Amino acid sequence: MATSSVAVRRAAAERRYGPTDWWGGWRTCILACLGFTALFLILGIYMHAFAWYAGIDAASPEFALYWRSLLILELVGVGVGTIAWWTWLVRSGRALAQAITHEEEVRRIVVFWGLIGATSVVLYFMASFFPNSDGAWHQTAVRDTAFTPPHIVMFYCAFPLGITMTIGTYLYGRTRLPKIYSAANGFPWSFFFLIAASITEMMQVAMNEWGHSLWITEEFFAAPFHWPFVTYGWLASGIFALWAESALRLLGIEKEAEDEAQPVVSQPAA
Amino acid sequence: MAATAAALSPAEAERERLRGLLHKKYRWLDYKFDLVFWVTAAFVVGAAADITKLLFAGDWDFWTDWKDRQWWPIISPFAFIIIPSALQYIQWLAWRFPTGATYTAVCMFLCSWVGRVYQWDAFVTYPLVFVWPATIVPAGIFLDWILLKTKSFVLTSILGSMVWALVFWSSNYITLAPYLQPAQFMGHILTLADIQGIEYLRSQTPEYLRLVENGTLRSFLDETQYVSLVFGATVTIAGYWIGQIIARYLAIWPIGKFIKRF
Repeated sequence: MATSSVAVRRAAAERRYGPTDWWGGWRTCILACLGFTALFLILGIYMHAFAWYAGIDAASPEFALYWRSLLILELVGVGVGTIAWWTWLVRSGRALAQAITHEEEVRRIVVFWGLIGATSVVLYFMASFFPNSDGAWHQTAVRDTAFTPPHIVMFYCAFPLGITMTIGTYLYGRTRLPKIYSAANGFPWSFFFLIAASITEMMQVAMNEWGHSLWITEEFFAAPFHWPFVTYGWLASGIFALWAESALRLLGIEKEAEDEAQPVVSQPAA
Repeated sequence: MAATAAALSPAEAERERLRGLLHKKYRWLDYKFDLVFWVTAAFVVGAAADITKLLFAGDWDFWTDWKDRQWWPIISPFAFIIIPSALQYIQWLAWRFPTGATYTAVCMFLCSWVGRVYQWDAFVTYPLVFVWPATIVPAGIFLDWILLKTKSFVLTSILGSMVWALVFWSSNYITLAPYLQPAQFMGHILTLADIQGIEYLRSQTPEYLRLVENGTLRSFLDETQYVSLVFGATVTIAGYWIGQIIARYLAIWPIGKFIKRF
């Protein structure tokens, strides 16, 4: 076949699926949500397999092999992946046309919803799935360092990925949805709250570990010292404003398309 | 046709306009947007509700012996109502759906059970009969029903929060009751829940935190839980309004608002 390049095949595939088809615009949502779920489930299975076997004593060689190496892998992987994705979003965004058809704008909004959905999945693993493992661990094993097995998975992979997704979703909107998030509009409060949620969660880790090293107030999980973590869940409410802002624009696109489709009534000749 | 339209009363005309809007065919907007929203929002809603519960009232939800008469009916309804209240406001404002509390309750129910089964039971091998989570699904249904009937957040905050506290306790009491049966243990009469708390190792929790009910409240006509329930209902009203503030100022207010200068 003469036309077998990736770009040509991708263009052909995109023509085959519409902007709101499951395997068209919604593909980002499906793949990103499934991908993050698979990643975190694999990390969860790894934790179950090696936390008790090699994660009790942070000074042991087994800990260095199974857990410190995972820590380094996570930090490097998430760091490099995040910078690469953000850079690609900004650089490719500059090259994209800002005056686009309604169809293309709808496709970008659908992809944007996919990124919001994936962010929501990451936030679940940050705030429910792994905190449960951390609570279970602390009530039985008692912490020795800030680098317990549940911490290594939660604090240094899930939490940073939350920042990756919230800022990355903003960069997508900023570079590809100019009618909603162009620089001329300013910085959206919706993203301010959502990004603040993921960043305060990460910053709270430092305060939490510093405090536990001083007071060890973890006799019970609902200790006042843990309450600031809740601000994450509350600030994440900004995600609803993202859905609303883009849904309002979708209605605007529908209205514009409807108006354009109306036949022009010509004035009768005098 | 024009004559028919002219004969319509304003109420009928409004009804026709809304019916037209309901059945309006869009070019791109379809059921997929609804489906993706309700499914993906479930993750962040369940997570927000679960983290609020874990960090404000986690211990009372983790262990059977912490589901006591003195603190559990006060702390848990307060912590549990915050996010359902927020979602109730959002869904009522967006769609006039009285479903926000129930939706959140179901999302949190799923998150809690995944956590208990996968982390507490499979990871650290606590039996589920010791670490089962409380449910707020019945309480959520009642809270939404009260909003549907009153159409008022003020009335829902007062009546709904009281009903929430009562239904929370009574619906979970069905599961808890078997663990409150008396048993003799090392020469003392304790509940089965207390014996679970002593027998299952919790190395981080000191002994003095295990028997949490104390003070003179125990002698209050021997009806400790009713006093706690009424106080819990009062505190829950405050929790409801914390949720309303979250929804109004962190979820709805930011829509279409931008920071112009840093």
